[in-house]
Amino acid sequence: MKMIHLTIDDKSIIAPEGTNIFQAALDNNIYIPGLCYHPKLSQFGGCRLCYVEVTERKHTRHRFACAHPVSEGMVVKVNTTEVNRHRKTVMEYLLAHHELACPTCNKSGECGLQNIAHELNMSPGRFKTVRMSAPVIRDNPVLELNRNRCILCGRCVSACKEIEGVGAIDFQNRGFKTVIGTAFDRPLDCSFCGGCLAVCPTGAWQDRTLGFSGRPWEFESIPTICPYCSVGCTIVLNTKEGSVRRVVSNDKLGINEGNLCVKGRFGHEFIHSPERIKTPLIKKDGEFQPARWEDAIEMVSDKLKQIMEKHGGNVIGGIGSEKCTNEENYLFQKFCRTVLGTNCIDNISNMKAPFLNGLLYKSVERGFFTDSLKGIENANTLFFFGVDITEAIPVVGCMARKAIQLNSANVVIANPRNIIFKNTAKNDVRLTYSLGSQHILLNAIIKVIIEDKLVDLKKIESSTSNFSSLCSSVQNVSLSNAEQLSGVSLEMIRSAAKLLTKPGNCCIVYGKDVIEDPLGEDTIKTLLDLCALIDVSNHSDIHPGRASIFCSRYHNNSQGVNDMGVVPEFLPGYVDINDAANKEKIEKLWGIKFSGNIVSKNSFNLIDLAKNGNVKSLYVMGADPLTEYPNGNEIRECIKNIEFIVVQDSFMTETAKLADVVFPSSTFAEKEGTYTNTGFTTQRLNRAISPVGNAKTDWEIICDIAKKMGQSFSYREIKEITEEIKKAAPVYSGFSYDRLRRKEFHWPSLLLDKIGSNKYTFFAIRDKSLKVKGEKEFPLVLITGASMNHQGAYSAKSKALVSVAPECFVEINDKDAKDMQIKNGDMVMVESRQGKLKMRSKVTRKSPSGIVFVPDAYVNIPINMLIYQEYTPVKIYTVLDN
Amino acid sequence: MEKNNQHIKFVVGLGSCGIAAGAKELYEELASKMGNNCNASLSHTSCNGMCFKEPIMEVFYPDGNYLMLGNVHKKDVDKILEPLLSQGAIDEKFIIENSRQPDKKEEFRQKQHKIVLENCGIIDPDDIEPYIENGGYEAVKKVLNTMPPQQVIDEIKTSGLRGRGGAGFPTGLKWQFVRNNTGEKKYMICNADEGDPGAFMDRAVLEGDPHKVIEGLIIGGYAIGAEHGYVYVRAEYPLAIKRLKSAIKQATEKNLLGHNILNSGFSFHLKIKEGAGAFVCGEETALIASIEGDRGHPRLKPPFPAASGLWGYPTNINNVETLASIPWIIKNGAETYASYGTEKSKGTKVFSLAGKIARGGLIEVDMGVPLRDIIYTIGGGTSSGKPFKAVQLGGPSGGCVPENLLDTPVDYESISATGAIMGSGGMVVMDEDTCVVDVAKFFLTFTQNESCGKCTFCRIGTKRLLEILEKITEGRGGMADLEELEELSGKVKDLSLCGLGKTAPNPIMTTLKYFRDEYVEHIKENKCRAGVCKELIKFSVIEGSCTGCHLCYKNCPVDAITGEAKKIHHIDQKICIKCGMCYEVCKFDAILKG
Repeated sequence: MKMIHLTIDDKSIIAPEGTNIFQAALDNNIYIPGLCYHPKLSQFGGCRLCYVEVTERKHTRHRFACAHPVSEGMVVKVNTTEVNRHRKTVMEYLLAHHELACPTCNKSGECGLQNIAHELNMSPGRFKTVRMSAPVIRDNPVLELNRNRCILCGRCVSACKEIEGVGAIDFQNRGFKTVIGTAFDRPLDCSFCGGCLAVCPTGAWQDRTLGFSGRPWEFESIPTICPYCSVGCTIVLNTKEGSVRRVVSNDKLGINEGNLCVKGRFGHEFIHSPERIKTPLIKKDGEFQPARWEDAIEMVSDKLKQIMEKHGGNVIGGIGSEKCTNEENYLFQKFCRTVLGTNCIDNISNMKAPFLNGLLYKSVERGFFTDSLKGIENANTLFFFGVDITEAIPVVGCMARKAIQLNSANVVIANPRNIIFKNTAKNDVRLTYSLGSQHILLNAIIKVIIEDKLVDLKKIESSTSNFSSLCSSVQNVSLSNAEQLSGVSLEMIRSAAKLLTKPGNCCIVYGKDVIEDPLGEDTIKTLLDLCALIDVSNHSDIHPGRASIFCSRYHNNSQGVNDMGVVPEFLPGYVDINDAANKEKIEKLWGIKFSGNIVSKNSFNLIDLAKNGNVKSLYVMGADPLTEYPNGNEIRECIKNIEFIVVQDSFMTETAKLADVVFPSSTFAEKEGTYTNTGFTTQRLNRAISPVGNAKTDWEIICDIAKKMGQSFSYREIKEITEEIKKAAPVYSGFSYDRLRRKEFHWPSLLLDKIGSNKYTFFAIRDKSLKVKGEKEFPLVLITGASMNHQGAYSAKSKALVSVAPECFVEINDKDAKDMQIKNGDMVMVESRQGKLKMRSKVTRKSPSGIVFVPDAYVNIPINMLIYQEYTPVKIYTVLDN
Repeated sequence: MEKNNQHIKFVVGLGSCGIAAGAKELYEELASKMGNNCNASLSHTSCNGMCFKEPIMEVFYPDGNYLMLGNVHKKDVDKILEPLLSQGAIDEKFIIENSRQPDKKEEFRQKQHKIVLENCGIIDPDDIEPYIENGGYEAVKKVLNTMPPQQVIDEIKTSGLRGRGGAGFPTGLKWQFVRNNTGEKKYMICNADEGDPGAFMDRAVLEGDPHKVIEGLIIGGYAIGAEHGYVYVRAEYPLAIKRLKSAIKQATEKNLLGHNILNSGFSFHLKIKEGAGAFVCGEETALIASIEGDRGHPRLKPPFPAASGLWGYPTNINNVETLASIPWIIKNGAETYASYGTEKSKGTKVFSLAGKIARGGLIEVDMGVPLRDIIYTIGGGTSSGKPFKAVQLGGPSGGCVPENLLDTPVDYESISATGAIMGSGGMVVMDEDTCVVDVAKFFLTFTQNESCGKCTFCRIGTKRLLEILEKITEGRGGMADLEELEELSGKVKDLSLCGLGKTAPNPIMTTLKYFRDEYVEHIKENKCRAGVCKELIKFSVIEGSCTGCHLCYKNCPVDAITGEAKKIHHIDQKICIKCGMCYEVCKFDAILKG
């Protein structure tokens, strides 16, 4: 990119060609007043404040900085008398009818308009006009719009359209009567990401969750990582007097450029929820009694010791947390493996898909993870396979839209449902496939790619080791069969294949719908084959395009818990536990000897063990298997038979209710540590407040018990744990807790040098497909998935989120609903062989006929209770409300 | 144009102006009265420009004789049909032109030079055949068969044609920019979002000769390399849209439009986009946003549409009149076209004459004709016979040109020098009964209502300007307001984002420049000499003249007038709303305004 030299206010700066003066100044910390320009948004040019004097090609003229590109040798003056006079005029215009309500405005103190008025020393203007006094619009739980304070900079409109893809608001009317509003002034119906609020330079958009609970200058701002989904957005907690008052975003921090979803921005109220567990609880005669920490710790330690003495450590099971930090999970597995002497540990994501860790590690080794999630912004083609981006990882959707806007990226979306992903891509291909046909669909795409020579076959043949076996495996794919089974027309398959192989970067994101299919493992392997095909072919000196593949995990630290080895088959950092050398190395580090029979030869599932009575005690840290794991009823039966259960959690979950001892653990806001997101990026948490009530951080609780049980878990701070992780987990060897303050850590990048010359070996799996159908009595097939508004107990205890999305629902195809005489909004019963749950119907075309969808994110409707196999058949019928 | 020499042919002008004047009823009456008379046939055409004579009908006799009648209404049919059929005597008041009276020439038609309007009011716009018979689509054939695209552009450059939408940017150059830009696709757009009050040139062309515009678009598309085109036409022109649609259909059927035109290998697909009535959508970037389905907001330039326009592709946008000039230039040669007009403004320009003018309508003259010729020779002076005061050129973006500047020739530069703009060609004539402050207020109300609201100066600046004008017309103004008007106008003009804001203060600036004394009168003497500004006038009864006829009493909508029959009446100033009804109805000039 050509660099331009220019001078702004006597400061010589360099800016890339095509940058506008405003952005160039912003990048160099030179202040130009402006209210409508925002680096994240397209230029608007409406506020007219950024007027500057520009001298170029020997002509001195006045220009608007946001609209004028830099040129070589340009001299810009930001503060001449003429320029300031102009600015004052604009401000005089803007303030003439503006509701000057600073004392009662939450924005006061961080208001762009107020700041500029102050800088320019504005006095009451010439115009004696009527101040605006339109009623404030409070038609939704989280945002309010006060049009009297709006200066029509259009930022909210652009943010809603360009970043969130929603377009819920736009300008209305013309001339002086122009206002911002929704279509036909209907109540705001959007994703409530709060993007409008974040970019608003005045007090027009307000955060209703803030109320009047603090003024901007009273807040302490602590950046930390969002505790909800697996994207790992940086949020900034605003605290006052030891409590979290609101969440704001900072465009310059983290990977999310200040973009958040409704959970991240408004779902913080759970931190101070009255339902938090505030003291340790011990169950006596079936009732929980509050207890002192010492007593609870002593009781747990005694009980565990007893069980170990009686049965050996192997009968104790441990479930780690997808929500706790890496450090806590590291300590948890160390505690289980050393103190309790059991390898019977797992986490729910691994229990659901035990093959995933191995495949992900393989894809990292192949170099399909050269960039963090942010790499999606550089994509030229986006392929979302079996993942509902908008609901599951909304901010990745924002990144994708950025790629669409900046690189004109093309979009291919394959999903069994007609998921919503609003975007402006010129090519947006949707492959809505029938359940069970995902593998054959993918094979058909590969077949088309090879047969139509959409990639450089010669190059692939020479740079992979077994291209011929891939060719022979897809040779057998019958395209017409694939078309028939998947319900996707050949024409669509062809256009998808064409888009996927376009030169440039291709980003593939797959998710729950792929992973939790019976053919999930094969599909992911084939997806890696596709990725390799594109990567090898696209990567050349002329087209430096790469293919990358991301797996959309569920929780904030679903990746980290696996990285930390809270799985039976790996020690921290995907070190094979069956390898004697590895075991020895870790024994040396930990200063212990593993008990001889710690590793069982057969891979096992904790629930299976419990079913067979082989688990006498269960230690659960920050997880709720009863609601998060399918087949909840069966698990409940298993767990009931377990002698002694310990749960660490912030809320009384279904699992905690069955526990003998419950320890109150602190939430993300009360602790330090690190999370690793779904793109393998590790980011640091910062403690914003001290623990609520008598809660303790999970790692402190573990240390206390370990110490009580006679082990030296004498960690005093997080850094000591991270230092140990560095040594234990090879993939985290380049990790530094201090450096995380400045920059996030992405462990696959460290393996880049090791991705060597060895050629890619295709899995070349023959196409498979399943027939997924309902049964006579239960004619519909149930699938579940994420929800944008909720995720577990945290969201359920956040008032704002509950008011945005108060009720769980079942999505029924409109045709099915008509057949069953169910109307939108009816109360219905969803019943499977395992049980039934009552919820609201949502009649839609999102789910195809024969399939019903229920989000698995509402804790009060634990849909996993109904599930007893992949694609559980259910029936639905209307019931009385309440 | 009459081929069948056996018939007497009646042609009724069915343009929007004609229909508004009752031409449709006339046509239907003629049709029913003629019945199955096999000696006569009836057809229609569009507006021939003489809107002041509508409804107009023409009669072509087999012997070559010709009659043009004006102001013919349904009720007159009985009177004139028989004499017309038998070539008998017709009431003179109807006759505009008669081939047997060569001296009787309508002055309106003199001094005009029709290029764009050559077919308007002559051919049947609903049928492609008469257009083709008159040499239509010859230019497309010539271009596709013999001229490479660059040669077409060079030809247009040589012709000196400048954008007729108002800004006057050289068309050939504009095309060249788009041609030089590469893109997967390109677009050719016709801007028919004519929104100036008092302007109806584009409507008349689209209603009267839609194929000419289509032909211009095809040639333009060929020259710049665009295979897709849009006509952005305001939905308030239903007749134009209907005729355009049928023209597109017919041209497509004849393979003059669509895929592989006349087997040349060049394809051009044309769509109509109906605008929802926003004045600002005439601005090209707002127009593009509107086609894309967005709110019609102008956006920053660069990038110019020539580089990144509709859906991000290189796009060329021309006005209706510009495009309608293209086929003529191709057929008759650029030099011929360039021989008309002035040095910098070539060719002809269409104007719509409206307001207080005796002969209102549509005219086309060579560039460089003095305004005086247009207003007096063609337009016949003011309709009221009262002294001419000013003419507003260029609609709300333009300015008022006073009497003493009437010798200004109409070309882009000379008109700009007066402070007005050429604009799209609307001319609103005012006599001394028009108050210039009120005119400025009218246009500013228009621009304020039509401002898209995007930029501060246009949205708030025009509102403040309007507030000051309101103050002055209501007699609350001060002399300082005039300076404020000037200062604010300058700011809004210089600093607004798009053309709408940049030109919005023109009516104020020109009226202030040429009629400052009237502003001062409003402020200092609380007097509106034209008697328009309601707050500054009052109606009273001249006692000596009042006969007590009671007419004013009956007509007063607010019962402000008291008085018994045959006695002198009185107007209660507290109740009077100054509607002027008493002044209008009084037969004895007994109401005093002022």
